[in-house]
Amino acid sequence: MTDKSTPAMSLRAMQKAFYQGIFNPKDTQTLASLQNTITSTDAPLSPEDRIDIYRGSILGGITEALTAIYPVCVKLVGETYFTRMVSGYLTQYASGSPDLGDYGEHLAQYIADFAPAKELVYLPDVAQLEWYWHKAFNAEESGLSRRVQHTIAELGDLTEEQHANIQFCLSPSACLMSSQYPVHRIWQVNQDDFEGEPTVNLDDGGVALVIWRSPDYGMRIDVLNEHEHEFLNALHQGQRFQDIAQLPCAASINELLPSLIQMGLITGFNLIDKTV
Amino acid sequence: MTHSHSQNPTFSQPIIKGAGLGLRSSHYQEIFETKPDVPWFELLTDNYMADGGLPILRAEHIRQDYPVTLHGVGMSLGSTDPLNTDYLSRLKRLIERLEPSYVSDHIAWVSVEGKYTHDLLPLPYTEEALDVICRNIIQAQEFLGRRLLVENPSSYLTFTNDEMTEWEFIQSVARNTDCELLLDINNIYVSSQNHGFDPYHYLAQIPADKVKEIHLAGYEKKEHYLFDTHGYEVRPPVWDLYRAALERFGSVPTLIEWDTDVPDFQTLRAEASKADALMNQVTNKAIQEVAE
Repeated sequence: MTDKSTPAMSLRAMQKAFYQGIFNPKDTQTLASLQNTITSTDAPLSPEDRIDIYRGSILGGITEALTAIYPVCVKLVGETYFTRMVSGYLTQYASGSPDLGDYGEHLAQYIADFAPAKELVYLPDVAQLEWYWHKAFNAEESGLSRRVQHTIAELGDLTEEQHANIQFCLSPSACLMSSQYPVHRIWQVNQDDFEGEPTVNLDDGGVALVIWRSPDYGMRIDVLNEHEHEFLNALHQGQRFQDIAQLPCAASINELLPSLIQMGLITGFNLIDKTV
Repeated sequence: MTHSHSQNPTFSQPIIKGAGLGLRSSHYQEIFETKPDVPWFELLTDNYMADGGLPILRAEHIRQDYPVTLHGVGMSLGSTDPLNTDYLSRLKRLIERLEPSYVSDHIAWVSVEGKYTHDLLPLPYTEEALDVICRNIIQAQEFLGRRLLVENPSSYLTFTNDEMTEWEFIQSVARNTDCELLLDINNIYVSSQNHGFDPYHYLAQIPADKVKEIHLAGYEKKEHYLFDTHGYEVRPPVWDLYRAALERFGSVPTLIEWDTDVPDFQTLRAEASKADALMNQVTNKAIQEVAE
């Protein structure tokens, strides 16, 4: 069955050419070498047409996945514009994971650099919020792990000397972001079930947010005041209690700590003794 | 290259029978509320790879009431890359959580140089490709500690350096690796029309004792080819081919796949009922023949 007139390409070379031919069709030399490996018959479809079927299926599938992760961005710019906008992303950013849910992490930065969308100044931050929502939705469960060694209940067992070394741990789903724009409102008014005043005033100013999944699997976007933002940022960076005590947010810590523990945003703690 | 895996049925990995359904998120609520009489559900492995969150929680709830199978595309068994052990580790954890009756993937490749297309791409049917996929299947089975089912692909091109037919390739894969087969009847029909071979001859060449599951789906008729979209009811020629498959392989557990434009749950169940009816017809006919 082998066509002896065409030199056979190794399987690896064919697979590399196939990938290149799908994602970078402007590489005409590679595309032509791939086409030479494909059986040409009397059927109306040429090897090029046959590769096109795969290209449409692959790019369509990945675009569909991005559309599902970024529904508000799609709503804001329209599906056709979104598809055109992300086509360059698909070429620039290869998917490095078999899980399609891992793809799309850099879309916010890509949109920020995407000149035709420059006027939509808030769009990159909306994309960032949607990525964090997606990550929080699929985040691992809270609980003891290598990352979190003690439960909140164990706080009572600590000596006073140990308090300085407490490193509180946030829920694995917690993602922090800030924006110059009221992106949480933009996100909110573009939800399918939103009822209320749909206009958003960009002059309302910036916002700091924590996007996370509560213990009952509810998804939350909480707006943070200055102290909350500073405190959660410090926890996110792994700072110890004695370091946080030096920050301005320490003034609010007596209210913040029990509240964050109760709502499930702080899920446990480690003891970090830097003298050891 | 033969490798043996003992896999006796266990209580935690129940034997499945009849026509199952693909589990889709839009049907969760109805399934939880009505506990429909469905013999088993197939879960798309790649939708449950995250370590937490609602999807895996829901999958565990489903598993409390039904046997499940896991069907994925991420193993990239035909790739010249080494197997992705991170993916296999995640899959192994998922298998431990859900205890599926079968775990399946495809005779295809998905990735190269660590870059994923998330689509099932065709292999040339050569000795070289056979070595690659057999090695990967054996390694994956060893890693997971269980036998895999591998599914025949639908395809839109063939390669000039093919050294054997698709059914010969599949025969060799099954023989060399001790894996079992998930036969997609729609894929056989789609490829037969796209490449001009006899789908009934294809069926006749598949080793009957290896077929443990069957897939049915609806294709889309394009101007010059059939496209495997999984977005329609099963087409009449595929039902005809399915009947022939049942006559050859017996009442193999059968799944209705419907992945795009997913209909309401009742429509899906009606498709499964057609498969069940055919299974009963073929079984009764066989019993009658024996009795006569």
